[in-house]
Amino acid sequence: MSQIQERGSTHVYKVNKISKEEMESMVARCVYEQPPFCSAACPLKLDVRAMLKAAAGGNFKKALQLYEKIAPFPLILSQGCEAPCEGKCRLGEIGDGLAIREVERAVARYGEQSRLGSVFRSAKRQKIAILGSGLFTLLLAGELEKKAYPVTVFCEESDEEAYLRTAAPFLDEEAFALELRRLKGKEIRFECSCRLDAAFYEQHKASFDVLCASDEVRAKLFPDSAPIPELMICEAERLVSGPTRGVLDAAFGAKKAALTVDRLAQKLDPRNTRGQEGPTDSLLYTDLSEAKALRRVAVPAGGYTKEQAMEEAGRCIQCHCEECLKSCAYLKHYKKHPGLLAREIYNNTQIIMGDHQLNKPMNACSLCGQCTVVCPNGFDMARVCHLARQNMVSTDKMPLAPHEFALLDMLFSNGNAFLARPQPGFASCRYVFFPGCQAAAIAPETVRAAYEDLCSRLEGGVALMLGCCGAIADWAGRTEMAQQAHELLDRELARLGDPIVIAGCPSCAKELREHGVKELRGIWDVLEEIGLPEGVHKLERPMALHDSCGARGDAATQASIRRLAASLGVRLTDTPYSGDRSPCCGYGGLTAYANREVAGEMTEQCLERSDEPYLSYCMACRDRFARQGRESRHLLELVYGTDAGAPPDISEKRWNRLTLKRSLLRELWGEESMEDKLNFELNYTAEARRMMDERMILTDDVIAVLEDFRASGEAIEDEDGLLVARRRVGNATFWVKFSRTDGGYLVHRAWSHRMNVVKREG
Amino acid sequence: MAIEKNYYTIDPQGKLKCVKCGVPLVKGKAKFMYLDNGFPVELPVCPVCGFVYVPEELALGKVASVERALEDK
Repeated sequence: MSQIQERGSTHVYKVNKISKEEMESMVARCVYEQPPFCSAACPLKLDVRAMLKAAAGGNFKKALQLYEKIAPFPLILSQGCEAPCEGKCRLGEIGDGLAIREVERAVARYGEQSRLGSVFRSAKRQKIAILGSGLFTLLLAGELEKKAYPVTVFCEESDEEAYLRTAAPFLDEEAFALELRRLKGKEIRFECSCRLDAAFYEQHKASFDVLCASDEVRAKLFPDSAPIPELMICEAERLVSGPTRGVLDAAFGAKKAALTVDRLAQKLDPRNTRGQEGPTDSLLYTDLSEAKALRRVAVPAGGYTKEQAMEEAGRCIQCHCEECLKSCAYLKHYKKHPGLLAREIYNNTQIIMGDHQLNKPMNACSLCGQCTVVCPNGFDMARVCHLARQNMVSTDKMPLAPHEFALLDMLFSNGNAFLARPQPGFASCRYVFFPGCQAAAIAPETVRAAYEDLCSRLEGGVALMLGCCGAIADWAGRTEMAQQAHELLDRELARLGDPIVIAGCPSCAKELREHGVKELRGIWDVLEEIGLPEGVHKLERPMALHDSCGARGDAATQASIRRLAASLGVRLTDTPYSGDRSPCCGYGGLTAYANREVAGEMTEQCLERSDEPYLSYCMACRDRFARQGRESRHLLELVYGTDAGAPPDISEKRWNRLTLKRSLLRELWGEESMEDKLNFELNYTAEARRMMDERMILTDDVIAVLEDFRASGEAIEDEDGLLVARRRVGNATFWVKFSRTDGGYLVHRAWSHRMNVVKREG
Repeated sequence: MAIEKNYYTIDPQGKLKCVKCGVPLVKGKAKFMYLDNGFPVELPVCPVCGFVYVPEELALGKVASVERALEDK
């Protein structure tokens, strides 16, 4: 019996790093975290989307909190801002863009000011002086007060009211009164009626840690110095200042200047760690297909009422890119955008000691590649998960448990169930039919019919190869095992005279092409060329076509399948997410083994697309849909008039492969194979059979336990008189609860565990 | 004397019998081992041949969850 070596220990202290740059470049393709276009255009980086959401819901207090993050004087900014955000609103492409500034005005007017901010902060020690008047100095004072610096404003005006009037002459009276109250509420000291000349500057400069000035005062004091616009500073004089134009520019200048002051106060270079400042371009993708083209809510003379502001804010479509999340059951399950999930999976591979909490998500992706097609930027989650799996395997950190059953199944396909023979009467063949392991497991009679048809109608001989293409090991990230499978196939293909491979499964076709099989065609290509077999039964019925993820990006195969289905009389109904956008049935990437819950959700999502019976051209899809209770047929069943019937359980799948091989050997090549005959009768209750399928326990495992019991006599008897025996097979211990019958045993229950249990002395 | 740690205890209370030895199973010392980690437990054990019994509930419950935890180490 085949076995796979379990990793020896959890104490492995090595990592094989995936290049951070490679991972970053993959993660960067996800635009989910890109700012919406309005925020990207705002030099102050207002979270417009969140503010509009709060306002739309009538939460003006929260909306104002968000607005105050960038505007210490919200009425000033909202009345004077040039609003570059509005020009970038995507709704402007189909109707009116949002009146963002008008909503901001309403937020500034109706939002209740939060008073919590100043209670919990402790004032900084470094003292800051601001000399002069104007909007820049006012906003700078506001920014610095927010950062808890003790600020003193020296101005020529007689009082704060006159100072505010000079700074914001455009405010209406109501707004002026509100902003004056706000200014007086801030911890800003004022020294008014000052004569701001060189003597004044010299006299005060030693008393402050950082000095700032309006551009007018700066020009008077240092007429020959030129401030650096990015930093808002005259470096030689260490005076924070700079010219600004307009309200938004003054606000942006004040923000840059406040950062410079902060750096200087902490004795740091103001050039360093400033982050990205100013407006940017956004790479966000917005799906406008369902957005409504609406007019903006008309603005009355005094600005929006609360209700009008809520209505206008409610038009915001909250630009988010969720194209992949809409279509992928896996991403939906984990409720994470792929950029974040990829980063977490990358971090998972870097853990030397501790829990790898992302193992399950990493192994739950079907590697189907749908995200790459639906993502406007081609994000490739399959590559992220596949690389991470390979990485975990190579460092001996990958648990074997999630994939062991599938890997053993592959070894079975390429061991006991493997067959490679030239067509009877041929020493070497022009073709070899490679139906794929799932076809032989699920629909052996269809495989037989297809092979017989190909033999009878193709010139030059058709060999048969029953086995696994290696995709199972490849999906598990086990490169060496995949390579062993490819080497076996290469050897056998050479022995058959390097024939042209006729693949029965698009996933096998893809796997074999990727690993260097030069001449390969799909059976669908061949059938199109030689025509359908004689006497084919035409169906006049509608069916929903499910494209195989193995055929993603293969337009020729997808088209060929559609033509064949049409020539069989099938009326294909259109389903969303077909062709290259088709989702995975849940089998791909070994999801069905590693995470049944996610695999189930994948299958459900596939089946939600249509009420018609499903037609597929990958046997795994056919099987998963049928298991879900849906009428499901493989294209080859229709071509050959076979019916694979109810989906087989895991033991029957193995039995089908073995029986197909043995019967073909006997009938076509006249070879008898050794059959393992049981020398006792073995029956199962329906409950036991269901339980075994769910718990991945094969009849072979049960037989191994009972043979051991017959040899050793070791078992226990429980209260109900049932016997329980056990045997360690490979990396698991299997337990069977059974009763004796006339000629043998009736199995009632079975279970297993991977831990080994031994008696302890003492 | 150091107190010996047991992660899990099942007392068969005379309800299980070893078929081979014909004697009732008793609460005995056993050890689960997995991926180079060991856990001392007390399980139903045959006092004669040492057969250690792992009931279905234990295998699918506690044992399975510890396996998952260790596999992700």
